[in-house]
Amino acid sequence: MTSPLDPREAWQPLPASEWNADLARHLLRRAGWAARPDEVARAVQQGLAATLNRLFPATPPPLARPAFIPLAQDRINALRPLKRGALDQEERRIYEREERELERTAGVELTFKWLQAAADPSRSAYEKWVHFLTDVYVISMEKVRSAELVYQHYDLLRTKGTGTAPALTKAVSRSAAMIRYLDLDLSSKKAPNENFARELFELFTLGEGNYTEDDIKQAARAFTGYRHGKDGFRQNERERDTTPKTIFGQTGPYLGDDVIDLVYRQPAAATFLPREMARFYLTERTLPHEFFVPLGQDWRASGFNLRELCLRFFGSRAFYAPTFRANYIKSPIHFYLGLLQDLGLDVLPLQRTTLQPLRQMGQTFLLPPNVRGWVGGRLWINSSTLAARRQLAETLCSPLDEDRLNADDRLELEGARDAGHSRFTVDDERIRTFASLGAPGIAERLCDFFLPVRVTPEYRATLTQFLTASSPAEAEAKARRATIAILQSPEYQLC
Amino acid sequence: MPSLLLPSTRREFLHLSSKGVGLLAFSRFAPQFLVQTSLTAPKPEKDRKILVLVQLAGGNDGLNTVVPFSDPAYHSLRPTLALDQKDVLPLNDSLGFHSACAPLHALLNEGRLGIVQNVGYPNPNRSHFRSTEIWETATASDETAASGWIGRYLDNACAGAPAAADPDAVHISAEVPQSFGGVHPHNTYGLALGARAGKNDSALLERLATQGAYTGHGQPDTNHDFLRATLMDSLVSEKKIQRILDANKPEATYPASPFAQALRNVGGLIAAGLSTRVYFVSLGGFDTHANQSNPHANLLRQLSEGLAAFQKDLTARGLDGQVLTMTFSEFGRRPNENQSGGTDHGTAAPLFVMGKQIHGPMHGTAPNLAVEKNADLTYSTDFRSVYATVLDRWLDCPADTILGARHERLGFLG
Repeated sequence: MTSPLDPREAWQPLPASEWNADLARHLLRRAGWAARPDEVARAVQQGLAATLNRLFPATPPPLARPAFIPLAQDRINALRPLKRGALDQEERRIYEREERELERTAGVELTFKWLQAAADPSRSAYEKWVHFLTDVYVISMEKVRSAELVYQHYDLLRTKGTGTAPALTKAVSRSAAMIRYLDLDLSSKKAPNENFARELFELFTLGEGNYTEDDIKQAARAFTGYRHGKDGFRQNERERDTTPKTIFGQTGPYLGDDVIDLVYRQPAAATFLPREMARFYLTERTLPHEFFVPLGQDWRASGFNLRELCLRFFGSRAFYAPTFRANYIKSPIHFYLGLLQDLGLDVLPLQRTTLQPLRQMGQTFLLPPNVRGWVGGRLWINSSTLAARRQLAETLCSPLDEDRLNADDRLELEGARDAGHSRFTVDDERIRTFASLGAPGIAERLCDFFLPVRVTPEYRATLTQFLTASSPAEAEAKARRATIAILQSPEYQLC
Repeated sequence: MPSLLLPSTRREFLHLSSKGVGLLAFSRFAPQFLVQTSLTAPKPEKDRKILVLVQLAGGNDGLNTVVPFSDPAYHSLRPTLALDQKDVLPLNDSLGFHSACAPLHALLNEGRLGIVQNVGYPNPNRSHFRSTEIWETATASDETAASGWIGRYLDNACAGAPAAADPDAVHISAEVPQSFGGVHPHNTYGLALGARAGKNDSALLERLATQGAYTGHGQPDTNHDFLRATLMDSLVSEKKIQRILDANKPEATYPASPFAQALRNVGGLIAAGLSTRVYFVSLGGFDTHANQSNPHANLLRQLSEGLAAFQKDLTARGLDGQVLTMTFSEFGRRPNENQSGGTDHGTAAPLFVMGKQIHGPMHGTAPNLAVEKNADLTYSTDFRSVYATVLDRWLDCPADTILGARHERLGFLG
C-alpha cells in the first residue's frame, strides 16, 4: 500500500472500511475538543462522510449577540455628545474611562458566550473552525476596542466560513474590525497605508515569498477609501484610487476586490490555507510544499469552497496517518474546553476561574499576541503554563466552595444557573458515582476515554493498583485523585 | 555529587526510565536536587532578600481595621459598625487597631510593623476581578498589561540566570497570582492551601509520568518526550519542597487556620534556603457585604495571629533580617455602612508592611472622612509607590523600569 504521506494518495478519502472508534476519537479531538463516548459511538455508527457533514453543517448555527453588547453600545452612543461637550480634559477622561470599561465588560461577555457555544459538543467542530479562521484573519480587541465590531467580525467568519475563500476575504476587507485593526481607515489616496495589503498577502492568502514589496505598495492603493460608519462599510469615493496599478505582473485600474481576485489566481493561494489548516489541526512540523499541491489543485477547482476543503481535509487518509496521531499539543483553549467536555461540565462564568487560567496557560481569547496569531506547539508549554494547566484540572475536579466566592461571582453563578447551566465542577456526588465503578472500571474510563493513546498494560495496572481502596471514602478520594492525575498527565496534553 | 547515572539528554532519560531508573535521574535539575536535599538543610544565603505578599481577597474594610475612632464623621457614617475608643488598641490619639489585631499591635510597638495609610489609585475600579488585576499588574486603572509586577521583577532579576532547581516564586493560593506573569516564563510553583498540603497529591502523577502511557512513535524527540521532561522538572521542584515541608520544625506555634499553616510552610521553605525570592499567600473572605462585625473580626484575628507567628518563627531562626512581608487587598470598603450591617465595595485602605527593617509605624496620611453618602475615600498614597519602595529599597532592582514610571518612594524601609 502506498504510504498516506505520498501526496498523491494523502488526500484521497479514507476508505470506509478503515473507519473505526480510534479514528473517530482522533477526528473528534482534532476537529473539536474531546471524544466523548456517546459522540464516538454516534460517529462510528454514522460513518465518516455523514459525521463530517454533521460537524461542518452547510448552514452553521448563529451565535446570538450577547445581551450586554447593545446595552453597552447605547450607553457609549449616549456618551458621545457628553464627550464632545466636556468642559475640560479631565471631564472627557471620565467618559472615555467609562467607555473603555463598557467595552471591556462586553468583550468578557462575548468571550463567555463563545466558550459556552464551543463547549457544546454539537457545535464544537464548527466553532473550532471559526476559531481557526480568527487565527488566520486575526484581529485584536486591544486595538479594535469595540466588542460590537469584534462580534460582527466573528459573525462574518462564522456565516461566510462555509462559502468560498475569495468571498470571505472580500468580506473581511470590509469588516469594520479589520479596517480598524490594520489601519485601512487611515489609508487615503495621497497616503496609502500598506498594513492591510501586506497582511492580506503574507498572513491571509499567500504567505511570504509569493509577492514583492512593490505588489504590496500597488495593492495598498487599491484599498484606499475603505471606511466604516454607523451604517457599516462605505467606500469614500474621493479617496478611491482608480489609476492603473501593476500587481503580480498585471496592469489595470484594480480596486480592492480585483486585487483579491488576482490573489486567488496566484499558485500559492491554493496551498496557503491548506497549509495553515495542517499547522492548526495536524502538526507543528513544517510539511513539504509538494504535500499540499494535489489538495490545492482540487480546492481551486471547487472555486476555493471552504466547506469542501473541510470535508476533504478531515476525510482524507493524511488526516488519519499514524504519524499525526497523539502528537499534537493542545492549545489552552483546547485543553480547557476538552476538560469541560470530558468531565461533562458547563463553563464556569467567572473571570477569575475561567479567563484568568486561560491567560495563565498563555491564551487570552480576543487578544492574540500579534497579527500572526498564536504560534502554539511547544511554545504553549513551560513550567508556569504547565503549572496553570495542572491547577485548572485540580480546580475543575474539586467541589466549588461557594462560601468563598465574593458577591459579584455569586450573582454570575445564579445567572448561569437560571440559564440552565449548573455543573461547574466535579462535585462529591459525581465522584461517588464514578467510584462505584470499582478500580478496573475507573481505570478503563480514565485511560480509554481521556487519553489519546492505547496505554500499556503496566500503566493501566499502576492506575488500578492505586485505585484499590479499603473504604468507600478512600475509594472516592482516590477516584478523584486519579482523575486529576490523568488530566495533568503529559499524555492528556496531547491529542 | 552528581551521579554518573544521570542522563545528559532528554532522549537518554526515557531510555533510562524504561529500565526503571526513577524520576530523579532524569530531570534537568536532578544533580542540584540530589546535592541539596541532604538531611542537614543548607544555611540560607544571608544576603538574599525575600518578599512575602499576603493578599486579603475580597476587599478589606480599612476603616474597621485601622479605626479613626475619634472622628465624629466615622461614627455617623457607621451607626452600627463603628468601634469606640474603648474597643480599639490605640496607635495615636485618633487611630486605633481593631481589637482582633492585638498581635499586630504588639509587633507595631516593637517596631516591626508599619502601616501605610489610605493606599489606592486614581479612578478606582470597584470590580473585584478588575481591581485585583490593577494591583497585580501595577497599571493605571485604564490600562491593561499582560505581565504582573512580580513577573516583571523576575524578568529583571532572573534574566540570563541558569534554570535553577528552585522556583523563582511560590504561591499558596487556589489560582496562580496574576502578579507572577512575566514577559518571559518563570519557574513558579503553587502549593496546596493550608496544612493538608497533600503529601501524596502528586505521587500518582509522578508514577504515571515516569512510567509513560505508551512507548511512543519510535520517533526521536516527540512532543510526548518534551511534555514529560517539562513535567518531571516541576515534579522535582515539588518533591524537594515536600521534603522540606515534612522536615520543617518551626520555632513558633502557628494557629491551626489554613492561612497560618500556609505561612508556616513559607517559613519552612525560607529556612531551607530555597533560592525563591517571592512568596504569595492569600486569605479570602473579606467581601463583607452583610452582618460583617463578627466575620470581619475573625478574619483580622486569623491575619494577625498568622502574621505574628510567622514573624516570631523567622526571628527565632535568625531569618527576620531577610524577609519583608506586605499585605494588599483589591480595595477598601465604602465609608458608610449599608442597610445589611455590612459595607460595599470602596476604594483606598491601609496596608501592612512587616519585618525587622521597618522604619516608623505610620506612613502616608489618614483618609479624609468628609464624604457624601455613598461616596468613597480618595486615596492619598498610590499603591505603586509602595511597590516602588519595595522594589528599590528591598529587592534592589530598577523599580521605575519594572513599573514603567517613576513613583515616589515611601519611608518604611528607611
